[in-house]
Amino acid sequence: MSVFRTHVLLPVDEGTAQAGVFEVKRRLEKELNARQLLDEIKVLESGSVGIVGRGVILAVYPDRIYYFNVREQDVPRIIDEHLLKGRVVAELDHAPIASATVAASMGKGSKVGLTRTQRRIVLDKAWTIDPESIDEILVAGGYSGLEKIFTDKMSPEAVIEEIKKSGLRGRGGAGFPTGMKWEFTRKAQGEEKFIICNADEGEPGTFKDRLILEGDPHRLIEAMTIAAYAIGAGRGFVYIRGEYELSIERLRKAITQARQYGLLGKNILESGFSFEVEIRKGAGAYICGEETALIESLEGKRGNPRVKPPYPVTHGLWQKPTAVNNVETLANVPGIMVHGAEWFRKIGTDKCPGTKVFTILGHVEYPGLVETDMGTSLREIIFGYGGGIKGGKKFKAALLGGAAGVFLPEKLLDVRMDYESLKENKAVLGSGAVLVMDEDTSIVDMLFSIAKFFAHESCGQCVPCRVGTRQILDIAYRIRQGHGREGDLEALLNLAEVMFTSSLCPLGQSLIMPIKSALENFKEEFMMACGH
Amino acid sequence: MTPINRDKLLTQHEREGDSLLAILHDLQNASPEHYLSDDDLRAAADYLKLPYSFVHGVATFYTMYSLKPRGRNLIRVCQSPPCHLLGSSTISRELIGLLGIGFGETTPDKLFTLEMTSCLGVCGVAPAMMVNDRVYGNLTKERLVEVIKDLRRAT
Amino acid sequence: MDMIKLTIDDREVEVERGSTILQAARKLGIEIPTLCHFDSPHLAKSDQPAACRICVVEAGGTRGLVPSCISEVTADMNVKTRSESVVAARKTVLDLLLSGHPEDCLACEKNGDCRLQNYCYEYGVERTSFARYRENIVLDDVSPFIQIDRNKCILCGKCVIACTKLAGNNVLGFGARGVETKIVCDDDKPMGESTCVQCGQCVQSCPVGALTDKKSLGKGRTWQMKKVRTTCTYCGVGCQLNLHMSGEQITRVTAVEDGKPNMGQLCVKGRYGYDFIYSKDRLTTPLIKKNGKFEEASWEEAYTLIADKFRKIIKESGPDALAAVSCARSSNEDSYAMQKLFRAVFKTNNIDHCARVCHAPTVAGLAASFGSGASSNSIGEFRDAKMFFVIGSNMTEAHPVAAYYVKQAVRKGAKLIVADPRKHELARKSHIFAQLKVGTDVAFLNSIMNVLITEDLYDKKFVAESCTGFEELQATVMKYPPEKAAKICKVPAETIVRIARELAATKPSMLIYTLGLTEHTCGTNNVMSCANLQMLLGNMGVEFGGVNPMRGQNNVQGACDMGALPNVFHGYQKVTDPAIREKFAKAWGVSDLPDKPGLMIPDMVKSLPDKKIRGFWVFGENLANAEPNITHTEHCLASAEFLVVQDNFFNETCKFAHVILPAASWCEDEGTFTSAERRVSMVRTVKTSPGLAKPNWLIFKEMAKIFGHEWTFNSGRDIWDNEVAELAPMFAGIKYSRIEGDGIQWPCPNADHPGSTVLHRYGKFTHGKGILKGLEWTAPGEVEDAEYPFILSTGRRLSQYHTRTQTGRSGMDAIYKRETADISLADAEEIGVKDGEMVVVKSRRGEVRVPARVTDEVPKGMVWMTFHFREGNCNWLTSNFSDTITKTPEYKACAVNVTRCEA
Ligand SMILES: Nc1nc2c(c(=O)[nH]1)N[C@H]1C(S)=C(S)[C@@H](COP(=O)(O)OP(=O)(O)OC[C@H]3O[C@@H](n4cnc5c(=O)[nH]c(N)nc54)[C@H](O)[C@@H]3O)O[C@H]1N2
Ligand SMILES: Nc1nc2c(c(=O)[nH]1)N[C@H]1C(S)=C(S)[C@@H](COP(=O)(O)OP(=O)(O)OC[C@H]3O[C@@H](n4cnc5c(=O)[nH]c(N)nc54)[C@H](O)[C@@H]3O)O[C@H]1N2
Ligand SMILES: Cc1cc2nc3c(=O)[nH]c(=O)nc-3n(C[C@H](O)[C@H](O)[C@H](O)COP(=O)(O)O)c2cc1C
Ligand code: SF4
Ligand code: SF4
Ligand code: SF4
Ligand code: SF4
Ligand code: SF4
Ligand code: FES
Ligand code: FES
Ligand SMILES: [Mo]
Repeated sequence: MSVFRTHVLLPVDEGTAQAGVFEVKRRLEKELNARQLLDEIKVLESGSVGIVGRGVILAVYPDRIYYFNVREQDVPRIIDEHLLKGRVVAELDHAPIASATVAASMGKGSKVGLTRTQRRIVLDKAWTIDPESIDEILVAGGYSGLEKIFTDKMSPEAVIEEIKKSGLRGRGGAGFPTGMKWEFTRKAQGEEKFIICNADEGEPGTFKDRLILEGDPHRLIEAMTIAAYAIGAGRGFVYIRGEYELSIERLRKAITQARQYGLLGKNILESGFSFEVEIRKGAGAYICGEETALIESLEGKRGNPRVKPPYPVTHGLWQKPTAVNNVETLANVPGIMVHGAEWFRKIGTDKCPGTKVFTILGHVEYPGLVETDMGTSLREIIFGYGGGIKGGKKFKAALLGGAAGVFLPEKLLDVRMDYESLKENKAVLGSGAVLVMDEDTSIVDMLFSIAKFFAHESCGQCVPCRVGTRQILDIAYRIRQGHGREGDLEALLNLAEVMFTSSLCPLGQSLIMPIKSALENFKEEFMMACGH
Repeated sequence: MTPINRDKLLTQHEREGDSLLAILHDLQNASPEHYLSDDDLRAAADYLKLPYSFVHGVATFYTMYSLKPRGRNLIRVCQSPPCHLLGSSTISRELIGLLGIGFGETTPDKLFTLEMTSCLGVCGVAPAMMVNDRVYGNLTKERLVEVIKDLRRAT
Repeated sequence: MDMIKLTIDDREVEVERGSTILQAARKLGIEIPTLCHFDSPHLAKSDQPAACRICVVEAGGTRGLVPSCISEVTADMNVKTRSESVVAARKTVLDLLLSGHPEDCLACEKNGDCRLQNYCYEYGVERTSFARYRENIVLDDVSPFIQIDRNKCILCGKCVIACTKLAGNNVLGFGARGVETKIVCDDDKPMGESTCVQCGQCVQSCPVGALTDKKSLGKGRTWQMKKVRTTCTYCGVGCQLNLHMSGEQITRVTAVEDGKPNMGQLCVKGRYGYDFIYSKDRLTTPLIKKNGKFEEASWEEAYTLIADKFRKIIKESGPDALAAVSCARSSNEDSYAMQKLFRAVFKTNNIDHCARVCHAPTVAGLAASFGSGASSNSIGEFRDAKMFFVIGSNMTEAHPVAAYYVKQAVRKGAKLIVADPRKHELARKSHIFAQLKVGTDVAFLNSIMNVLITEDLYDKKFVAESCTGFEELQATVMKYPPEKAAKICKVPAETIVRIARELAATKPSMLIYTLGLTEHTCGTNNVMSCANLQMLLGNMGVEFGGVNPMRGQNNVQGACDMGALPNVFHGYQKVTDPAIREKFAKAWGVSDLPDKPGLMIPDMVKSLPDKKIRGFWVFGENLANAEPNITHTEHCLASAEFLVVQDNFFNETCKFAHVILPAASWCEDEGTFTSAERRVSMVRTVKTSPGLAKPNWLIFKEMAKIFGHEWTFNSGRDIWDNEVAELAPMFAGIKYSRIEGDGIQWPCPNADHPGSTVLHRYGKFTHGKGILKGLEWTAPGEVEDAEYPFILSTGRRLSQYHTRTQTGRSGMDAIYKRETADISLADAEEIGVKDGEMVVVKSRRGEVRVPARVTDEVPKGMVWMTFHFREGNCNWLTSNFSDTITKTPEYKACAVNVTRCEA
């Protein structure tokens, strides 16, 4: 690789693409070419940086200067002022924010917003590298976890042991210990086993997996290879939701490159271990995020969840032992392999080590994504990273964990964001989505929206959920329109309770969460809507 | 699609049941009207030796597939809670007004089809919608008018 | 056995590990409601959807409830089936279901037999507390026998399971999702326009009134119905039916859920083909032809006329100038009585029946190889077999329920090899399909055996210990290396080798064949080749193995067993054996029973014009349509001196009769049928016969009486228990009292014997060692040439039965309306016809004009037709070539030409 004095990074994601990142890039290259600077300054497309709603973002390295809302016509000035003369252009829409911290525990950032200090494990390379260049990734330390296993001649059991020791828990929502899942799969009867990466990410308010896929696809390949080695799988699948075109594209390229470099396929790194990864594209069904529905879908069927038990670890894809892991979960694995379980345990809380990627949304100043330690307080996330409530309004509630989440009122703002602490407060971490609502928000209306989501996404297999979601929507609609009837609130609760006890899968079982928390914490609002 | 082209497309996939979703995606992508015709479904079923009802069942389970012809611009408006919170219902109403069609419908000039969708995973720019492969976020009434105008002009 | 103890509603119970809570509760007599649970022995636990959630119970600590229909018991589990939360959940489920359900019980066909209704009553859910969410879905009413009212559908999915996992018809499925979910036929077609074959398996499984039998609409309420068990009147599978009776009216037919062999399954004919018995066309009085016209007569007149005529003939030409064709459709007792009449009273062995045109090569061939001419194994074994070799058999249409089992096994992973000239349904579902040329089976099978021997893959131990003749077989098959056989049978040599290797790799495998083998000039050789192959593979005498000819008519096995054959008394006791004759003479109280084997059907027919046969009694056989070469047959029948026809209907043969006797039909008399798996099952009376029609056996008894023979029996029961069982060792243990429920499979030598599911156990064949025999391939009697460049092969279709006297009067014409000629796409193009356009099919014997059915089922150069309709019947074309040993006609091959019909 030739040496460039400066890298200009253009994070590409749906948002920046729409804002014209490619136009900016074309202009940049044209202008650099005109000034014969192309040998000195390298323009790179990178994965999304997790900052959204700020138009085209342009980052200059090693200066660590970020420009937001860059337009094509700004390009000459940035080149002439900053790249040639070293003077930061201060007059763009948003003043450039210097020194955004990138890699894990680096830098001393600003106090507020998403550029505030984060601890990045799963996203440590995302947006500092070109996700489409395996060379860069290798230089940045990619695949060293995998390498380590083979140079240290770790046995599959030892890998599992290390993951168990690290205390890594599933980031897909349920928080199941990953090491145990792998152990069950390894020990399950059967010649052929599979590893599946769950990249269906359909939970409203969640896009963390997309950023990992877009920003650092090789990390996932590395992680899946390690997992496959540990459980004894020869084939792996990444099930990506159909809308994530860019993720699919990037991952596809990454797989091809990894194969060319002997990091995937037959006899990986001369270790004797072979592994293949295939991408499978979803087609629009939230329920396919549920692991057994995902497996059905992967088999080419309707995404109806299966009755559990038996669990995928013994009866998964084609009824063979299968480990299903979330993208973020897997993205933690290479780091643990490189730095060891001890290192990992030092981050986060005792029972939930490591970091968590949160998406902060709704009525906040800086919506977007942040990776920070497990156990960070909700207040810190909303007011620290999120920059507080938009327009100086007052906080009313946060919906945690996606559509099947829990409405948390103000009094719980200091709850720590990890599985245990949230459970104590009858809440869930779920996918890590934090939807913030200001004082003007109608919880009744939000509950209606949740009901609508469930009614739309129920697979329709079991009666309590198929008809129950529909009837809950009807009642919620009625209440929202101010036509609530005597007994409607009880009916909502009773129905949700039966759905909880009797539905076939967690989708139907979990509608009780938002309903109960909404009714408990914002009862008056509902009573009023029902004409009380 | 001609049967020959369809065959060509099919044979790029393994003759195993788990190819079905990918085959349906490909068939639909090959259709200028963004949909799966009866012939498409039957060809997929015959190729994979699957019952017609099974293939129909799969094609109608997933929202990305359509069995009805759709307009050149497929607009999918997100209505999940985060987008809802930031005004997706206003956006929906506005679109209905601008296009003169309801959800699930196609304009008579076959330019637009309006569909509702669950979270698109771009909630950071809520309220959001997708037009074919492209995401539009931070939508406002004004932006919508512009976007629709642009789309009309482009097609 | 590993047992588990648990508590249910405070009562202890012990069940096998792996049992469900539902099973454990049932053991205690505790009722748990179920809607979607499918109780069928054919389904695995993983086939259960467990989606209705009405069966939930409390099972230990968790707050959630578990579905008892699928949840396994664990040790010390504490189950509550009626706790508060359980009842609340069930009520809510019912409440929710009702919110999408019409309040229609009063007018609903299912009223009184509906699970939803029953549970709502039981749980006190009068009406829904929710808003109605669906309304007015259009009735799907266009299929012939079934109506779908999706308003009443609770989406339990049982119909989908029935259609895909039991019947393997793969028509029904789920469409859309969430609350929009619905059941669909194919790609959401109306049922009548879909690939649905109207088997009604879905209807039988539906717990509510969403799927109903059209024939039953308004015929009465379940609680008014009496259920009578009987045996299907159509094919040799021998399905067990429940007739739902309202007075003398059958209102509905369902399968006996735990009845062998079908275990809850039926095909379209068994389920909907019953109402011919009520047809106005039934023969109700004896008819005598006077001056070319039939006139009604009394039994007295008819009997007297027959007796006078027969006496005269016997006197003038001897008893062998009489001949009889017995009926493979009516009971064992009827056939027994007829052969007794001809042997004991008239003293001739000239008796035969339609096995002659069907499975006579099976009887002869298997008797030569194994010592017993019947299917060696049982139909129920198909379900769990590991491998099948299906050759010359179109099971899905001709033996549908047996085919269900094959499809079920394949779904569970069994291997399926099909050898047939046509790519029929099973061929499409097969792992290896050998599309051989018509009439080349001996070469094909020899070549498979050639590979087995050259590659040393055959079962040497079995051959050495249980067979003779290996060297002779080896010498012959060595002349058929795959490359050479491939040239004859047009199956690629690689495929032949692959089949041989697969057969050797998976053991045992079941060989199934039907008429594709028997109805050839080499029919008996074909059958013996199958026997050779299975012996060579060591697949005989074991469960899930054997040679399994699928006998055709409901009682063709029985008619053979009862001695409606020219060479044997019942129980295959040879007429040439003096000791046997002696035994029967004594039992029947007669002397000089005829000792020379009688004539076979083709010879009987051929002997009519030259008056070698002068008196001919045809009982339940429609020779005019079913025999080959109709022109020839009708010429013979027309020249008959005296023809008696005994039937339910005025069939095409009746035209030529001098006397017609009206007989009781199925459902009008008690008796037994013996199915393809040698199972003797009961047939019961549910109605009186119309007019003067009489039970067949009674007609023979009364005839005997005129000749001075007093027969003592007064019912089918008497005949079987006192004569059939007494006089044949193989039936000795079968008595009516033992077969009230499931029938018994012969041989059954004594009252304690359970019957025989598998013959030739432990490599011990009925006649000692199995005989391997080298057989050379010979071409069909007539082959393609320049003038007749196509090969015609013939058979049947699913919804019609033979000459349609019954299915034609049960509404089956709505499914298959007229004869067609199946031709390949390539030929259609060459001839210049499109699907449905008329063609002329011509042979040396005649020509027919029928619409072409252009299909990829037949290969180029082949035509496929049936003989169900008079018009366009393929038997105007078929030849009189026949099997050299048994004289079975070569229906499966003759040369024809096909041209566009210009008129
Ligand atoms: N629906 C219905 N069912 C019936 C009957 C009916 O009329 N209707 N009749 C019953 C009776 S009596 C009988 S005997 C059975 C008959 O049952 P089957 O024998 O299964 O029925 P066929 O229609 O005669 O079909 C025979 C098969 O042999 C194939 N075939 C033709 N020529 C050859 C050949 O040279 N070699 C090989 N290997 N295959 C060949 C044909 O393509 C066809 O698939 O069906 C019984 N079941
Ligand atoms: N081209 C061609 N021709 C064929 C065949 C073929 O494959 N191709 N298959 C041949 C085969 S396998 C067979 S088995 C034959 C079948 O030929 P048939 O046996 O002639 O056919 P069915 O229509 O069953 O005729 C039976 C007759 O018995 C009558 N019957 C039914 N039940 C009773 C009863 O209880 N009592 C009385 N008295 N009569 C009754 C019916 O009304 C009908 O008239 O056809 C043969 N013909
Ligand atoms: C309705 C529903 C949707 C889900 N969606 C996702 C998803 O989009 N992504 C995901 O990783 N897990 C999802 N899950 C959780 C998965 O079932 C599964 O627990 C997870 O993939 C396991 O991975 P982990 O152990 O790494 O967390 C969902 C679960 C349910 C019930
Ligand atoms: S709970 Fe809902 S999503 Fe889950 S299986 Fe039942 S209907 Fe389907
Ligand atoms: S299906 Fe059952 S509940 Fe429904 S109307 Fe008929 S009898 Fe009543
Ligand atoms: S039609 Fe009957 S069997 Fe089929 S899903 Fe509906 S209720 Fe169940
Ligand atoms: S009648 Fe038979 S083939 Fe037709 S849908 Fe019902 S089960 Fe399927
Ligand atoms: S398979 Fe045969 S015996 Fe069974 S119902 Fe059908 S015709 Fe009757
Ligand atoms: S909620 Fe609309 S894109 Fe996620
Ligand atoms: S009967 Fe158990 S879930 Fe339906
Ligand atoms: Mo037959």
